[in-house]
Amino acid sequence: MTDGKNNKSSNANKKFVRIVIIGSFLVMLVLGISTFWASRKTVTMTDEAVSAVSSFYLEAMADQRAQTISNLIDYNFEHMEKALYVLESGDIRTQEDLRKQLGDIKTILSLKRFALVDEDNIVYTQYTTYSGGSRYEFLSTDKLDKRVIYTTNQYGSSKQLCLAIPTDGLTVMNKKFKACFVLIDIEEIADLLAFEEYGGAYFSLYVQNGANLLNNELGMINEGENILEASKKFLSQKSWEQICNDFSEGKKGTLRFTTDEIKEELCYVPVHDTGWMLVVFIRESVINEQIQGISEINSRTSKLLIGVTLLSVILFAIVLIHYLHKISKGEIEAERENSRTFMSMANTDSLTGIRNKHAYSEYEGRINQQIQNGEIKEKLAVLVCDINGLKHVNDTKGHAAGDQLIKDACSLICKHFKHGAVFRVGGDEFTVVLNENGFESLNETLDGINKVIEENIKEDKVVVAIGYSTITEDDKEVHDIFERADRMMYERKKQLVEMGSKSRD
Amino acid sequence: MVKYIKRISRTAVLLTMVSVLLAYSMGCRTGSNQAPEVISVHDNNDVNNDVNSVEGAVDFEHELDSYVPKKDNYNFYFTYKIVHPWWDAVALGMEEAQRQYLEQGVTVTYEYMAPDMASAEDQIKRLNQAKKGEYDVIGVDVADEAVISPVLDEMIEDDYKIMTFSSSDASEDCKRIAYVGNTHNYKDGADLTEALCKKLDYKGRVAILVGSEGAPCHEDRAKGAQDTIAKYSDMEIVAIEYDNDSIENAYNLTLDIIAEYPDLDGIICCNMSNPVGAARAITEKGADTVIVGMDHDKEALGYLKDGVIYCLGVQDCYSIGFDTIQVAVKIADGNLPGELYPEKTNEITTIIYQEDAAGMLQLLYGDVL
Repeated sequence: MTDGKNNKSSNANKKFVRIVIIGSFLVMLVLGISTFWASRKTVTMTDEAVSAVSSFYLEAMADQRAQTISNLIDYNFEHMEKALYVLESGDIRTQEDLRKQLGDIKTILSLKRFALVDEDNIVYTQYTTYSGGSRYEFLSTDKLDKRVIYTTNQYGSSKQLCLAIPTDGLTVMNKKFKACFVLIDIEEIADLLAFEEYGGAYFSLYVQNGANLLNNELGMINEGENILEASKKFLSQKSWEQICNDFSEGKKGTLRFTTDEIKEELCYVPVHDTGWMLVVFIRESVINEQIQGISEINSRTSKLLIGVTLLSVILFAIVLIHYLHKISKGEIEAERENSRTFMSMANTDSLTGIRNKHAYSEYEGRINQQIQNGEIKEKLAVLVCDINGLKHVNDTKGHAAGDQLIKDACSLICKHFKHGAVFRVGGDEFTVVLNENGFESLNETLDGINKVIEENIKEDKVVVAIGYSTITEDDKEVHDIFERADRMMYERKKQLVEMGSKSRD
Repeated sequence: MVKYIKRISRTAVLLTMVSVLLAYSMGCRTGSNQAPEVISVHDNNDVNNDVNSVEGAVDFEHELDSYVPKKDNYNFYFTYKIVHPWWDAVALGMEEAQRQYLEQGVTVTYEYMAPDMASAEDQIKRLNQAKKGEYDVIGVDVADEAVISPVLDEMIEDDYKIMTFSSSDASEDCKRIAYVGNTHNYKDGADLTEALCKKLDYKGRVAILVGSEGAPCHEDRAKGAQDTIAKYSDMEIVAIEYDNDSIENAYNLTLDIIAEYPDLDGIICCNMSNPVGAARAITEKGADTVIVGMDHDKEALGYLKDGVIYCLGVQDCYSIGFDTIQVAVKIADGNLPGELYPEKTNEITTIIYQEDAAGMLQLLYGDVL
């Protein structure tokens, strides 16, 4: 019955562990598949995003830098107006005074290469005074009536942006001045626009005729090469016509093309009032690398996260299984303990604490088996003990006294037959089995206990009639020995009555 | 043993010859002060469009020499023949030298002035004005050798420090301290004419356009041209005209000449405005007259590129400007020609042909405008 319960519990635990393992595996599988799917999806979406982002990104870059140039031009014009105010209000009497003032203006207003031009086209700078009629295009007219912005490249000098404004009414040293101007080195503008984030420029400035202002390389376009001539080599006819038209009309545009299986993109925007086109170039792979770099980091992080999660799940499963196993083991132990207690209770006499008739039956069965197996042939004795006068005590002194009498009897028997197995087999009946142990001293023990019993008759204490028998060759089972001992016990009971012990009646 | 010694001797002689040739060629490229140089970038049939081939014609990479100026401030006055892009190119070289001195803590200020029309009288007026200023050195691009040289001598006698520069020196007996510029105008004229004669197979009728009458550089080139033509019996000069450094004049003069000589085979142009005006006229008339000329005018380079002009003699104006300021500083400090600087600082002229035009345009102007 108990074994059956244990088996059932064990099976339940195994089933639970199995569910936990399968559950964990399924969780891991789902996580793995979802991670893989998410990675694939990320890559696909990244590719799609690159195209969209690159156009937007390039155009934003180009616009921003074109605006920077416009701001620079505005800044210079604004400061040139301030410079004129300074010159008008200054006390300038000699050429030295003028040169000093021009030097101060350059320093204070950050106007590089600031110069004045008088009505005779004499140019005045901080260090030089020279005839400039043939040198500057804007001086070809007698009178300058509006702001002028143009690009100049004289005899191998660096390319410059010339900004000029009329100086109506300005008279210094009794000379009338018609204009002032600044020259801004275009290389310096390029430095201002440099794309620091990539450690190099992916842009260039071109004139609307396609001429390169920065003399730099831009993707497929070589150093100093005319973009319109160069792009004919790698653009489709349609795209090339588009860029040519856009350049001539000063319109912004974006072109995508592939060279050597590399996707590339050009974005160009006009720079206000200058006749320049700012061109930004990027290889899609650059953006890809940037975004994929982030994507890869994310992917690695996700994988790490998944790995940690899986590990956690595995560890959790192990701990759970271990814990369940422990609980299960405890339950089994408790079950066994309960079983033992139950069995103990089933085999123990509750009054005396010694084994009861049920226990005797089991014990008898095992001894019988041994007898039948020939394992026990001798040195086996069975003693049958019966309390005299128990009914009389129960009737006259109550059951409590009766119970005490039983306990006294039990104590007496156990005290003398220390090496035997003592069972309470009936209300007033005990059986003692001596299996080798105590067998040799049986007679002495009997003498000793009977002597005490006979003394107890006189003192009105517990009296026990004891009969016994030992195994013979003819005995097939314990009961055979018991029968003889029982008969002897009745004989003894009579003797004890005769000696004054109370009988049942 | 003798055989061994002979072999060593032969090797030594060979090495010496190679060294001499190398030294000579290096001297040519660096614009040696010792000999006037006209360099031809290409033989006539040599085709090379690489910009590198013309890079030696103008040296934009200059550094001040090791001379340490004695003062912190210098003030100069320069006057030249005419407001013209050729002298604007000289001005760029001067500005670079001024910038480099400033980096060394030496402030160089100067005036660089010219009239709109070449005029010896105007130049005298300017020189008289300059005498009133406190200039360390006065530099002159001589408008008219005969008229200006005596004026310069007088100024020298009055203790003014006078130098000549750019295209035209004063007369041989002038007492000016030094000259920086083209010292081989005659040879430039002769070389251009020689190229033309070769192109025409040494027979034909040619005209000569000159700039300003009396301007030494122009006159020398014209003389060189005439002398060269004179060498070839089948060559004939049919006209010599002066355009006064005006493109418009050169254009009109050319039209007149070809009207008078429809079978004109060539035009020799001795200044910067001549070839532009001549090329405009020849293009307009659709003539096949061969033009050779001077200098680096952008329009002229365009005509060279298109094959209208056959060849141009390009002077290194940038170096002229740079060296002018360097020599002026040394003169201002009281140094005379000798170890520190030569009495005549020569600058090179390079003859370029059609195949060099794109490279030269790129080098001088880029293709921005």
